[in-house]
Amino acid sequence: MLVSSPVAARNHVTVTGRADGPVVLFAHGFGCDQGMWQRVLPHFVADHRVVLFDHVGAGRSDAAAYDREKYATLDGYAADLLEICRELDLHDVVLVAHSVSAMMAVVAAAAEPERFSRLVLVAPSPCYVDDPGTGYVGGFSREDIDELLESLDSNYFAWAAAMAPMVMGNPDSPELGSELTGSFCRTDPGIARDFARVTFLSDSRALLREVRTPALVLQCSEDLLAPVEVGRYVHEQLAGSTLVQLAATGHCPHVSAPEETAAAILGYLQPTR
Amino acid sequence: MTGTVRSAALDLEQLYQQAPCGYLVLADDHTVSAVNDTFLHWTGHRREDLIGTPFDRLLPVGDRILFSTHCLPQLAVAGAVGEIVIDVLGAGGVRRAALLTAARTPATATTPASTRVIVFSAHERRRYEQELIGALHRAEESETRRAAAEADLRFLAHHDPLTGLLNRAGLVAHVGDLGAPGTCAGLTALFIDLDGFKAVNDSLGHAAGDELLVVVARRLRDAVRDSAVLARPAGDEFVLLEALADPGDVEPLAERLLAVLSAPVVVHGVEVVVSVSIGAAVGQGPGDALEDLLRRADLAMYRAKARGRNRWEWHDPSVVDPAVGRLQLLGDLRRGVGAGELRLHYQPRVEVRTGVLAGVEALVRWEHPTRGLLPPSEFIEVAEESGLIRTLGAWILDEAVGQAVRWQREDPDAAPVEMAVNLSARQLADPALVDVVTGALARHRLDPSLLVLEITETALMGDPEAALGALTALRALGVGLAVDDFGTGYSSLTYLKQFPIDELKIDRSFVAGLGSDPGDTAIVASCIQLARALGLRAVAEGVETETQRLALVDLGCDLGQGYHYARPLTADALRAWSPALSR
Repeated sequence: MLVSSPVAARNHVTVTGRADGPVVLFAHGFGCDQGMWQRVLPHFVADHRVVLFDHVGAGRSDAAAYDREKYATLDGYAADLLEICRELDLHDVVLVAHSVSAMMAVVAAAAEPERFSRLVLVAPSPCYVDDPGTGYVGGFSREDIDELLESLDSNYFAWAAAMAPMVMGNPDSPELGSELTGSFCRTDPGIARDFARVTFLSDSRALLREVRTPALVLQCSEDLLAPVEVGRYVHEQLAGSTLVQLAATGHCPHVSAPEETAAAILGYLQPTR
Repeated sequence: MTGTVRSAALDLEQLYQQAPCGYLVLADDHTVSAVNDTFLHWTGHRREDLIGTPFDRLLPVGDRILFSTHCLPQLAVAGAVGEIVIDVLGAGGVRRAALLTAARTPATATTPASTRVIVFSAHERRRYEQELIGALHRAEESETRRAAAEADLRFLAHHDPLTGLLNRAGLVAHVGDLGAPGTCAGLTALFIDLDGFKAVNDSLGHAAGDELLVVVARRLRDAVRDSAVLARPAGDEFVLLEALADPGDVEPLAERLLAVLSAPVVVHGVEVVVSVSIGAAVGQGPGDALEDLLRRADLAMYRAKARGRNRWEWHDPSVVDPAVGRLQLLGDLRRGVGAGELRLHYQPRVEVRTGVLAGVEALVRWEHPTRGLLPPSEFIEVAEESGLIRTLGAWILDEAVGQAVRWQREDPDAAPVEMAVNLSARQLADPALVDVVTGALARHRLDPSLLVLEITETALMGDPEAALGALTALRALGVGLAVDDFGTGYSSLTYLKQFPIDELKIDRSFVAGLGSDPGDTAIVASCIQLARALGLRAVAEGVETETQRLALVDLGCDLGQGYHYARPLTADALRAWSPALSR
């Protein structure tokens, strides 16, 4: 169900699942949109009220709402997240946030702790860049991030097109509708570039200690963006957090291993129900 | 048949190996499971090195991040990605620009999932796109610069370059932006004018004046809410517009502004104390133009000035247009002087150490037939502007000198009372002044040494050379001379030393904080020391409390006057009061 209000339109908020169930709010990561969650959704819709949205600049959000100054820090994105909660009057929210959104969740939970009952941080990293001063290993150098920005530039036209035409068919995946294929992970290329700069260069390490909301840290295997050391660091800094190591490889377990990911989240939420 | 199949398979194999693009097949874990000759040839890698290697190892770090955050999820969900621009790392780390297209085949019961990848060399296209992107970014930058330049221009047109506040045009434009253009419903205007700004400009120079304006602007900005509109429409005038829900909020606001602006300012190394006069008016609803609102606030500001400065006043709708009002007032005053409606009251000047009456200061009052007893602040300015001050001043002088002599006659045994009379700047500049003073003294036969003429510091410093001439001529008559309101007029010490004066009267604004405010106490102490160094008598104005009196005793001040001793009294009342003091 599409929600109609200025905030909801800005972030293309969709609500599904059981209307009176506990609220699970999904926040997508860099380079994608809310479509990324679709493989785990079947595990939630029966018992939960599921709220999805696109960050401004991603998916079907209103790119006209993009304000470079506001979104120059994670705070701007976190403010949107909180606005969605207020607009929909969401309480005791379980916030499932992937990748760079995990730190937006941290900002939001530090700002309005009463809003959230649990955080689920999927492949989080509080700081992608190494900090030799403190011995912190984020996995990347500043030059690496600069190169990422260059890569984003290179893909400007590919990203600007709604979707490049597929030269290959996909006969073995009949479950994928053509509409989805056409819109999946559509991103405004200019915004994606800013977004990458904000998310990959921000350092939220100090904020972790301020969060009091119980949190689940889902750590993937062989994740280029969030190595095992980083997941452990997040777990150590977040008071009352639980660390679960997934067998799933890569950075997007909810896409590559939706069953395992959903089971880990539901298993964590179980005692609260 | 078999041969044909074999041949077709060979053809296919050849087509695969020799295709004009690179082909790779990735296993479910994204490691390379097959690669064609074209890709090997193009990259310089060996097949045995690539098989089993994760594909993203062939990409530089930026592309690797994109591949894992964008391509892999999209492959998993949508099944395909098309024409992603990447660099492929060849043997020896050489980068080769390429376009990557891939499709994923999900797992079936019998076969695991796999991904087919096509890599096109895209050197030309990459270069072309990089040029386009470069041009795009340059265009964005120049657009940003153009927008910034436009914003700068708009800012300049609407702002005062000195203080950064809105100028008059900016104020009008801003009010227009607030809603219904031209109406000020719901707005409160404060018209703020510096007292004595001209004196700062004249004595310290325009650069110092500018510096002072900047400080005042900054203090105003710090003292008001962010939503308030501040402007400097001209010179030393400031305007504050704010949507105040309750007119009762104006008083604390105006008082706060008076307080923050009265803190001393150091300009060009000189400490200057400024005060302001503030007029307040409220928007009257739709149709009330900004001009009208500001005019009313301006009127109120003039009233604050007339009532002694360093204060604020509401606009009083009963006060008619000032030009008309002033003409009316002037006519009334002219008539009143002729009809004997002017009175003198006398405020005792007391020896601080002994409490003995040393003299009085004559203060004019106007017994207005309809408005009651008016203080000089209500009419002296009009008199000054019109020249009526010559007549009025001559009357005051004559009356005061006459009264001094009458007291002497009434009680010949009492010590003679010294009579202090105020002279205005205009009187000081009047060539006939010496004759007027001489005439009064001669007519009543008063000892000239019993007459003290008080001239404000501001009046003296307006034209110090001319003042020096006038003072010297008066001094020759044998009368005493006092500098009034000392401390408010930025005296040049050079002139102060040259002036043939006998007395410094320390301004009441410093005396007010005496004994309680360390700054004020220090100022009064300095004034007294200065008087002593120059061989002058120090007189404190506005002594209102015992604390102040005790402090003046400690500091060795000579004379004091103020409510602590007595208000200005009629001649009769003073007689009744005086013996009590001497007793």
